[in-house]
Amino acid sequence: MSGQRGHELQLEAITQRFHDFVAVRDINLRIGAGELVALLGPSGCGKSTLLRIISGFMRQTEGRVLFDGEPVDHLSPSRRGVGIVFQNYALFPHLSIRQNIAYGLEVQGVAKAKRDARVDEMLALVHMSEFAGRFPRQLSGGQQQRVALARCLAVDPKILLLDEPFGALDKNLRLDMQIEVKRLQREYGITTVLVTHDQEEALSMADRVAVMSRGRVEQIASPTDIYDRPATLFVNQFVGSTNVLDGTVSTADADGSPVVALAGGRRIRVASDAPLTAGSAVRVSIRPEHLHLHAEAPGADALPGAVQTALPLGALVVYDLALEGGAALKVSVPRQRGEALLPAGAQVWAAPQPSAGYRAFPA
Amino acid sequence: MSEQTLVMPAPPLPRRAAPSFEAWSLRCVFGVLAALALVFLVAPTLVILLTSFTATESLRFPPEGFSLRWYAALLDADQMQAAAWNSLVVALWTTVLCVLLGTPAAIAIARSKSPWVRACDVLFMSPLLLPALAFGFAALIFIHRLGLRPDLPLLVLGHVIVCTPFVLRTTIAALTQLEPSLLDASRSLGASEWTTFRRVTLPLIARGIGAGAFLAFMASFDNVPVSLFLADERTEVLPIHLWQQIENNLDVRTAAASGLIVLLTLTLMVIAERTAGLTRQMR
Repeated sequence: MSGQRGHELQLEAITQRFHDFVAVRDINLRIGAGELVALLGPSGCGKSTLLRIISGFMRQTEGRVLFDGEPVDHLSPSRRGVGIVFQNYALFPHLSIRQNIAYGLEVQGVAKAKRDARVDEMLALVHMSEFAGRFPRQLSGGQQQRVALARCLAVDPKILLLDEPFGALDKNLRLDMQIEVKRLQREYGITTVLVTHDQEEALSMADRVAVMSRGRVEQIASPTDIYDRPATLFVNQFVGSTNVLDGTVSTADADGSPVVALAGGRRIRVASDAPLTAGSAVRVSIRPEHLHLHAEAPGADALPGAVQTALPLGALVVYDLALEGGAALKVSVPRQRGEALLPAGAQVWAAPQPSAGYRAFPA
Repeated sequence: MSEQTLVMPAPPLPRRAAPSFEAWSLRCVFGVLAALALVFLVAPTLVILLTSFTATESLRFPPEGFSLRWYAALLDADQMQAAAWNSLVVALWTTVLCVLLGTPAAIAIARSKSPWVRACDVLFMSPLLLPALAFGFAALIFIHRLGLRPDLPLLVLGHVIVCTPFVLRTTIAALTQLEPSLLDASRSLGASEWTTFRRVTLPLIARGIGAGAFLAFMASFDNVPVSLFLADERTEVLPIHLWQQIENNLDVRTAAASGLIVLLTLTLMVIAERTAGLTRQMR
């Protein structure tokens, strides 16, 4: 079997239309050999359509799918070599665990001796050897997922697709399985696409995350870049939580960085990837954990507000502030043991941490 | 902190709400229906069973004495045996053809969203709704217009038309329960569509097909309205033969034959329930 080395997956100008609805619009994506890329987005963003196109169950309206530079559009799902782990695992209920894992090898005509050896290897890999004789309904969710993964890897697919694979697991088990799947993926060096709407899953598992919205890739970058430098307001809001304030671009200040006048009249310096023209409306974003609270005005860019509510979350406290002009601002601060919470009505100043800052996006 | 179990006072048992009028009337309706079914379906069956054990010459209830003489008499009833054999042959052919035609039709209907296929579904199901007597009569006229005479293949054809809906319904029900991702999984593992059908679809809908085949067999075996028109003297089937016996001379052997059919049906039903979960397939 070709094994250990991954294959490169390339999507070239993929567009998918259903009548006059565009499900996927001009997607260009290159996923390196052995890389794990997460397609992250809300339901209806086109990620599942993309998955069906990669696996060959759907023929795209336009564009090409290439494995290692070779177009595979003419290949049916059974000839394409794409392994899929489904959300509901899709184990064959009438076959035992051993028969499930052997299924792909059997239909591909692998000789019995070789097949048995491979199945044993796979069972050991996912720690399911003692369950070989059982049937899927006799297994727990996590065990079923292990079997689904083993069944998939047994035929040595070029590309592995994980379709919301952890959605049906409870929270503790989910983390264990994520670690397990990541270990197997590394071990095999198999190029993997993870489709999910769960940002934690995407950020923790993937080498790169492609955030999708309404049929487009909004941004593709490493998990830390997605979080720290979101390209669009959508990405900023979808990944992690953030405060969004409305404002207007006023003239740049002395050192040239743009300044925004907020609805309440305060002026703050912002960073922006897009050029900002004076007078245009913008939305300013800052994450709650990138703000600090001060009793006195700490200098420029600080926003005064009154504490509305305090939400103690153990290691953190989230304060909900009311700013001048009525806008709400959430600030998340670490809490020392025994430290008292700020009372409602307390007047405070919120200012960005030195390493972070406000980011402006065109409205 | 010490390990301590908090002893909670047992929550008061929720008071059972007084049955509303709706629930009460629903129960009444179900009760009445069940009672009617018992009286009009089960009771006559018991009556015929008991009558068949009579020791006298007359078909009368309650029976006088107890004997198996009429069952023994069945062994010599050549005409009745021939009719029973005909019925069995017709029912078996009908079942085979219903499965061969009904299964592919069910797959097409379950997969397609096209309005034409919907229309076909209604068309194939219509023999269940239309009066079978009208169909039998129409079929006879049609056959004559074609210059044919009723014979065994045409009788089977008539039965197939009225029995296929049973296979169709149970198979469609089984197919709608079939998880589509199972088929995708099979294909992505390298199986062709035909292999996927053979290795995944067919085993998973086999019970549905089996339940439909059982119903089709029973429906053909005791079909009267279609057989009435399409059977001739050579292909006389059991229900028609029994009917004529009762009409002409109140032969007690008909009761014995009925008793035998009831017992065989019950046996088959128990087997079908045990192996295929018949009632589960019909939901």
